[in-house]
Amino acid sequence: MGHLLTLKRRQNLIGWLFIVPASILIFVFYFYPIVRAALLSFQTGVGVSLNYAGLFNYQRLLSDTVLKASISNVFIFLIIQVPIMLTLALILASLLNDPNLRFRGFFRTCLFLPCATSLVSYAIVFRSLFALDGFVNYLLTALKIIERPINWTGNPWTARALIIIALTWRWTGYNMVFYLAGLQNIDRSIYEAALIDGAGGLTRFTRITVPLLRPIILLTSIMSTNGTLQLFDETMNLTNGGPANATLSISQYIYRLSFQYSPRFGYAAAISFVVFVMVAVLSLIQMRVGDVR
Amino acid sequence: MRKTFGLCLIVMLVVALSGIASAVEITVWCWDPLFNIYAMQEAAKIYAKINPDVTINIVETPWDDVQTKLTTAVMAGQLNTLPDILLMQDNALQKNVTNYPGIFYDLTDSGIDFTKFADFKVNHTVVDGRNYGVPFDNGAAITALRVDILEQAGYTIEDFTDITWSRFIEIGKDVLAKTGYPLLSAVSESPDHIMVCLQSAGSWMFDDKGNVFIANNEVLKETVEIYVELVKSGVLVQVADWEQYIGTINRGTVAGTINGCWIIGTIVAQPEQEGKWRITNIPRLDKAPNATNYSNQGGSSWMVLANSPNKDIAVDFLKHTFAGSVELYETILPSSGALATYLPAGDSDVYNEPHPFFGGQTIYADITEFAEKVPKITYGVYNYEARDAVAMAISQVLQGRDIESALREAEDTVSFLMGP
Repeated sequence: MGHLLTLKRRQNLIGWLFIVPASILIFVFYFYPIVRAALLSFQTGVGVSLNYAGLFNYQRLLSDTVLKASISNVFIFLIIQVPIMLTLALILASLLNDPNLRFRGFFRTCLFLPCATSLVSYAIVFRSLFALDGFVNYLLTALKIIERPINWTGNPWTARALIIIALTWRWTGYNMVFYLAGLQNIDRSIYEAALIDGAGGLTRFTRITVPLLRPIILLTSIMSTNGTLQLFDETMNLTNGGPANATLSISQYIYRLSFQYSPRFGYAAAISFVVFVMVAVLSLIQMRVGDVR
Repeated sequence: MRKTFGLCLIVMLVVALSGIASAVEITVWCWDPLFNIYAMQEAAKIYAKINPDVTINIVETPWDDVQTKLTTAVMAGQLNTLPDILLMQDNALQKNVTNYPGIFYDLTDSGIDFTKFADFKVNHTVVDGRNYGVPFDNGAAITALRVDILEQAGYTIEDFTDITWSRFIEIGKDVLAKTGYPLLSAVSESPDHIMVCLQSAGSWMFDDKGNVFIANNEVLKETVEIYVELVKSGVLVQVADWEQYIGTINRGTVAGTINGCWIIGTIVAQPEQEGKWRITNIPRLDKAPNATNYSNQGGSSWMVLANSPNKDIAVDFLKHTFAGSVELYETILPSSGALATYLPAGDSDVYNEPHPFFGGQTIYADITEFAEKVPKITYGVYNYEARDAVAMAISQVLQGRDIESALREAEDTVSFLMGP
């Protein structure tokens, strides 16, 4: 009996040994900085002269109009872009999951390829594509879709549309891969049974694919929400938050407060905790709504 | 084979280490290979004759990175990651000195003669009466114009000299109607044009005490009105970013530009346009009480880090080069157009050379003359906050908001950011 316990113990010990290195790294590089940032968010001051001031920063951010503008920008992106992207990814995934489709691997690679590009470089390429005399305006005017070139970065809503187009291009393939992986786990026979029962393509998609992919859809929507709330590279490089802060993201505002303006690290840390809370709350809501068993 | 390779490595390492031990290395952070870095390299050559033991190690660091690295190093207390000398944008100098006390070396008693530099420029490097920077490049504002296009409309460069903005817009509309060319281009969302006009009348977004001065600033209101009229009349065309702005000049889609004189480096990059350009001073505001035809845009200064173990050598280096060598400025001017604010260099013959690209105009002598007349202003600690807020206000006004309320909101935003 004693011998068996030691074996179990030994196995436990080995198990612990496996997770210890990763855990240490996560604690040192994730949790410790989070705790330090939390402490920082209770300090106020400019530059190196920081003093503890309790909840002052959290009180201060309530009257920050730029912060409010950036939060509403991010929610505009979230509400419009994430559903478009996830629906598109789902449709593409189920199309590419068809075993009779030729060149499947090629199409999959093409759609996933945008994810392999650097965020900064693709944002810069998009900026030149959507310039006043850029390729997109040339194409649209040549095809007689628009009469005069659109000043994409010059108007608040076209600038936001530009960010949404760019984000969709960059991230649709990424989400599609998750759906493709999920589709592998759906038994073919379910589709065959449905086919025998006379279910059409749309019915199979809405009644089989979507319900069975629910956990994956939940995962991708949480990841996308998280990503959009922390949006930085695209707005920084494509529109630089303009025009008139119409595309300023929360992260870019944090960057400005820390590095471009007279630095207020305490206040910037407080704002980053607001983002943290928003991500947590939204994920919780999504899990409640999406995780119906 | 492997053994030999290893041995070679060890030998190389020993040589390298002993090299460091005997000589002093001064690390410099600066940007722009054709301008600042080039000037620094030439300075290093001159100093090598004075003190051969010192090597100057130039690390190309774009301005945004200089600011980010500086902030990170200071906030984290890792001062040994900083260089010995760095190049600082003038409009961020007071901010950094004020926010990071003790980080920059006080050059006031270093023996550098600051009276030999242009007055307005030195003013940007002084905080609480102490000098923190060795002034470098000149940002005196110029109007550069394509005389071949002006000629088609019946104007010359003289018609643009010593004029007001209302006259400028009047001629601009005429040129646009006759030739189809806008006179100017500017990056939308960039308040540079507003800043040039403000300084030309000796005004800024902060008052003498450092308080925000936007909503009730009549000079600012006038400059915003002018900018809106420039855009609405088509005399100024807005573009999305810096590359496109450069493109309008080099591809010849505009008849000119108004900017700091360093823009000459961009203009001369298009050889086909040789002989077609001239420069003159900038238009002055019509209503502002202290309006002049002179201003400044951009410019930077060399700073020494107080934590540097070799700060005395770094100061000595700057004293013998950027703050004492006419030869240095004579070398860098013709090849890079790096115009100095070091006044003794202005007497040099090189500065009176006619420039073929500008039809033989003695542009450097002209710009040196402009620089002497630039009104003095203090950028202040919250300059970047105010720039962004004013840029946003302009954008809103262009979309139809009234100037009063847009500037009121800008002032509130800056006040909030300056708040406790």
